[in-house]
Amino acid sequence: MRLYEYEAKNLFRRYNIPVLDSILVDNSSFNELDKVAYPVVVKAQVFLGGRGKAGFVQFAQNRKEAEKKVANMLGKKHGSFTIEKVLVERRIEIDRELYVSAAIDRLKHEPLMIASQKGGVEIEVVARKDPSAILKYYFKIGAKLPDFQARNIASDLGFTGAAMSVCADIVLRVFTLFVHLECKLVEINPLVVAHDGRIIALDAKVDLDEDAMFRHHELKEMGIVARHEIGELTKRERVAKAKGIPYVDLDGDIGVFPGGAGFGIAAIDLIQHYGGKPANFMDSGGAPTQEKLRAMLGLLIDNPRVKAIFGARFGGISRCDDWAKAVVQYVIENKPKKPMIMRMAGNMEEAGRKILEQAKQEHQELFKNIKIYAYDTPIEEVIKETIRIAKTQRDAGN
Amino acid sequence: MAIIIGENTSTIIQGITGKNASLHTKFMLEYGTKIVGGVTPGKGGQEVEGVRVYDTLHECMSEHPDATVSSVWVPPRFAKDAILEAIDSGIKTVVVITERIPIHDMLCVRQVAQEKNVLVIGGNTPGLISPEKSLVGMLPKITFQPGRIGTVARSGAVTYYLANSLNLAGFGESTSVGLGGDPILGANFEDILQLFEADEETDAVVMAGEIGGVYEEIAAPYIREMSIPVIAYIAGKAAPAGKRLGHAGAIIEGSMGTAQSKIDALRSNGAIIAETLSEIPELVKKAISKKA
Repeated sequence: MRLYEYEAKNLFRRYNIPVLDSILVDNSSFNELDKVAYPVVVKAQVFLGGRGKAGFVQFAQNRKEAEKKVANMLGKKHGSFTIEKVLVERRIEIDRELYVSAAIDRLKHEPLMIASQKGGVEIEVVARKDPSAILKYYFKIGAKLPDFQARNIASDLGFTGAAMSVCADIVLRVFTLFVHLECKLVEINPLVVAHDGRIIALDAKVDLDEDAMFRHHELKEMGIVARHEIGELTKRERVAKAKGIPYVDLDGDIGVFPGGAGFGIAAIDLIQHYGGKPANFMDSGGAPTQEKLRAMLGLLIDNPRVKAIFGARFGGISRCDDWAKAVVQYVIENKPKKPMIMRMAGNMEEAGRKILEQAKQEHQELFKNIKIYAYDTPIEEVIKETIRIAKTQRDAGN
Repeated sequence: MAIIIGENTSTIIQGITGKNASLHTKFMLEYGTKIVGGVTPGKGGQEVEGVRVYDTLHECMSEHPDATVSSVWVPPRFAKDAILEAIDSGIKTVVVITERIPIHDMLCVRQVAQEKNVLVIGGNTPGLISPEKSLVGMLPKITFQPGRIGTVARSGAVTYYLANSLNLAGFGESTSVGLGGDPILGANFEDILQLFEADEETDAVVMAGEIGGVYEEIAAPYIREMSIPVIAYIAGKAAPAGKRLGHAGAIIEGSMGTAQSKIDALRSNGAIIAETLSEIPELVKKAISKKA
């Protein structure tokens, strides 16, 4: 989970990593601009990279100019993100731009510190064009980064004497932050040497592990809570998120009611392969509650774009009987008209089958557009039939 | 012969008193898995489905020194400790059902497992099955039948559909292994591929990966060294770029982790690529007859 620059810098302050004094401005807090010394840099707060190129990092000589530039940025879009906050910082003279991070090497499955004298640009580009300019220092989880290693890194970054000690301390603090908060990434790019000799983290990137946040209550106290980080959510995605359902809107007309994420992804491939268009991605997670399953169905039924629903439950840890109960209760309560073509197999299948058969007998009218196949029908056939029915619905103008 | 688990493998369930664990202990016993004990700290002395519950794994192991496999069903915050306890007790294979284990915890687990030469499968794995011999995890037994194809997949349901379509085509599985859906896993694809390569009763391997992470790319070079054919399927070709789909792992980022980068890496190292799940049996048939 990536943090905004201002959130990352608040964390840096807690860990005594030097950052510039700054203020956060949104539409309701322009008076904050009185509290900063000019000239300043105005930076849009977004997760997406490339904000400099897009014109969302700007200089301002005085308050009037800053106000104009802030007002100009707020509400604008960078990619799919709307800019809601900007960070305003004192502009300083810079002598050198460096790079320091703590990260996880996913190929080796080992954490490491990365340092480079070529900061201020995209580190991936440096790695490609000039790999020798990137220095890597692996360490073990559970072991402390030795002080001498931090000094080595500072020395490799070109520091000598007192400045070397200052930089080594910063490196150690980056390491400590990374380990304490169980981060995926702590990155300073650039770490600058100011004209007056100070060493300062000019930008700050922190990527947290959402699955470890339960151990770090201090984050919540700082207002750092789980959020969606890739683009903006559609209305339906917001509803799904509030209910704890990973859901992504796609632009087709076949609602996908899968089991877990892996098959959800494979189902989208299969539907496209057979010429259909999926309306969504969805993930039930392991052993979903009946309430969650009903909410998942509701998302598809309420979507006017969806002409037919493809459903699949292969019961592993998620039980067929729970699934069948959820489908039956949803159908009886909501009386959906959209065709549903589904398949149910796996653990507790027999119990699930009984529940479905009984409901079908008692509510024939409600279940007339609902088919639930069993183990002996290949999933491909179920998908092909859903695609056919969606087309019939489309042609009939439903 | 099968890999990792066979009819005589003694297995322990960690977190056996939980709702899902106790239900699946019942299923595993019905299937014939030899479960010699369970562990839940604080609940020693109880029984689950006739299986004795111990407070510690050490205590359980001292009475059942033949146990080689342990399966972990505890909540995520206790998973690291449970896995380390298993490794420390002399267990050889740990099957981690728990999902969403913190990343730093798994990095630590990998370090220790590597030092002690223990195979940790998962987290977020459905487990593994050697049909009609043993089942460790929560895979539905209906979809597996004995045979000579090894399978290894990141996702649970994909594992089931894979076996389903192999069976409909007349094949069966030597062992089916769920690699797991969490972002940092204990075992890599190649750890499992190596075991299949050494197994005399496995004629071919089907591996199913998905977008996100780099596990498929890491495994690719080993496929070149294998003598049995590998048929590979990657889910997520149709996934929209920049969207996070489900599994913490399934996010497309950078040049690695896309369906195309995985397919390219696998194909260039000699894997046979299946475009869809449904064409896998046909490709398996061709690969085996070509080799024979």
